Amino acid sequence: MPPVNSPISRRPWFPAIRSPWSDIIKFLLVLAALAWLLYRGTKSLGYNWQWHRVSRYILSVKDGKVIFGPLIQGLLVTLRICGWSLVFSFFFGLSTALLRMSDSLVGRGVARSYLELIRNTPLLVQLFFLYFVVAPVLGIDRFTAGVLALSLFEGAYASEIFRAGIASIARGQWEAAHSLGLSTFHTYRYIVLPQAIRYILPPLTSQAVALIKDSALVSTIAIYDLTMQGQVIISETFLTFEIWFTVAAIYLFLTVVLSTMADIIADRLKTGS
Amino acid sequence: MQGTKLGDYIIEVDRIHKTFPDGTQALYDFSTKIRRSEVVVVIGPSGAGKSTFLRCLNGLEDFDKGTITIDGIPLDDNKENRLEIRKEVGMVFQLFNLFPHMTVLENVNLAQMLVRKKDHKEATKVTMSLLEKVGIPEKVQSYPSQLSGGQQQRVAIARALAMVPKVMLFDEATSALDPEMIGEVLDVMKTLAQEGMTMVVVTHEMGFAREVGDRVIFMDEGRTVEEGSVEQIFSNPQRARTRQFISQIL
Repeated sequence: MPPVNSPISRRPWFPAIRSPWSDIIKFLLVLAALAWLLYRGTKSLGYNWQWHRVSRYILSVKDGKVIFGPLIQGLLVTLRICGWSLVFSFFFGLSTALLRMSDSLVGRGVARSYLELIRNTPLLVQLFFLYFVVAPVLGIDRFTAGVLALSLFEGAYASEIFRAGIASIARGQWEAAHSLGLSTFHTYRYIVLPQAIRYILPPLTSQAVALIKDSALVSTIAIYDLTMQGQVIISETFLTFEIWFTVAAIYLFLTVVLSTMADIIADRLKTGS
Repeated sequence: MQGTKLGDYIIEVDRIHKTFPDGTQALYDFSTKIRRSEVVVVIGPSGAGKSTFLRCLNGLEDFDKGTITIDGIPLDDNKENRLEIRKEVGMVFQLFNLFPHMTVLENVNLAQMLVRKKDHKEATKVTMSLLEKVGIPEKVQSYPSQLSGGQQQRVAIARALAMVPKVMLFDEATSALDPEMIGEVLDVMKTLAQEGMTMVVVTHEMGFAREVGDRVIFMDEGRTVEEGSVEQIFSNPQRARTRQFISQIL
């Protein structure tokens, strides 16, 4: 049996209270090292940094009016695509989860085939398939095709999240609801989902973040989202590094805002019960 | 005296069989008839099929063979029949099974509003009178986690009563409670029995069985070993298995 106060667990050389300054200095050193590497690399390439030319692609002021640059316009398209896709992916996810847990053999079969199909093929191929094959047949535009591809793809993953959340609710809750004469719909609506949402929300947020990132792929079917606008600007101006840095920062901003909002909601739910 | 109190048969169970998917035979050729206002106490060792019998009565568990009829409605594959029976049969669980995300008021109001289609005001009126009855009107805005086990179980009884059931099933309703809280729950159950509620009670509380039980069914291995009046079973059991069980628990 190991001694209770083994040297490994005590770590006597480690100071009990650490000054935040040591962490801050380390962090700054890492940043400085990265910046230096970048500087060295770009200098050896002979890259000419022109950050001052970037701002007009975000916002510009003309005759006292604020004009959205192409990057902001792209961002708005990305937001629209993500918003719709989020709604539909929740819809597909929840209905697939419910189908998989239903008594219907056909329902379970359909849900299962959908999941296997979506999770075992690349999103890019699904996007092309929907845009080049399904869209002309059904006569849908590229925006709808993009939203459909994204929401079908993310919905497959969301359904597993919903399923796990629903399965985490104790059987006694179902039995109590049934013994009171509640229908299956009412049991889900009032008993199971309100309790499951607390388990579902954190992984669902990660899924929404993944959706925002994956939405960049719609640029391949010529939708002028944030990524596409970035490519267009670069092909006109050769501001490769500046624009990609900016585009990445905007995506980062979006996902961080989303995660923070989800954290706030999760906190509310926790204190609510 | 019993003859005047008891009415016609409200529950008829005819030769039901139940085998679980893992092969355990929970009920074997089990039959019984229960009259209106009768209080039937089901006793027996664990694994005897008592809970399974109770859960079959409101369709929480399916049975393989035989028939169950409750107040003239057959418990079969017909979904509407099932729903109708669940409305008429209230159930109280060992672990209360209150809805943790709802207040006491919401717990008791919910089924009244969704199933009995009452509005909030009407439902709340019923809820308040029921909480009065089970002795905790002051907890109406509390969440289940803020209540003691005994209080939670009394809310669960009120929640079942709010549906105005014709039959109440109690599945070891006091087994999960601390000893000092058993009394308050049994008191509520006794009141119900005196008011003429038809009750099927699975319990280990022999005092309760003696005091309010009209009939005792002793089960073992999925069958009825012996049934009869409380006096008969407790003081003068006929079968050796019954005698052995009674001597162990008394």
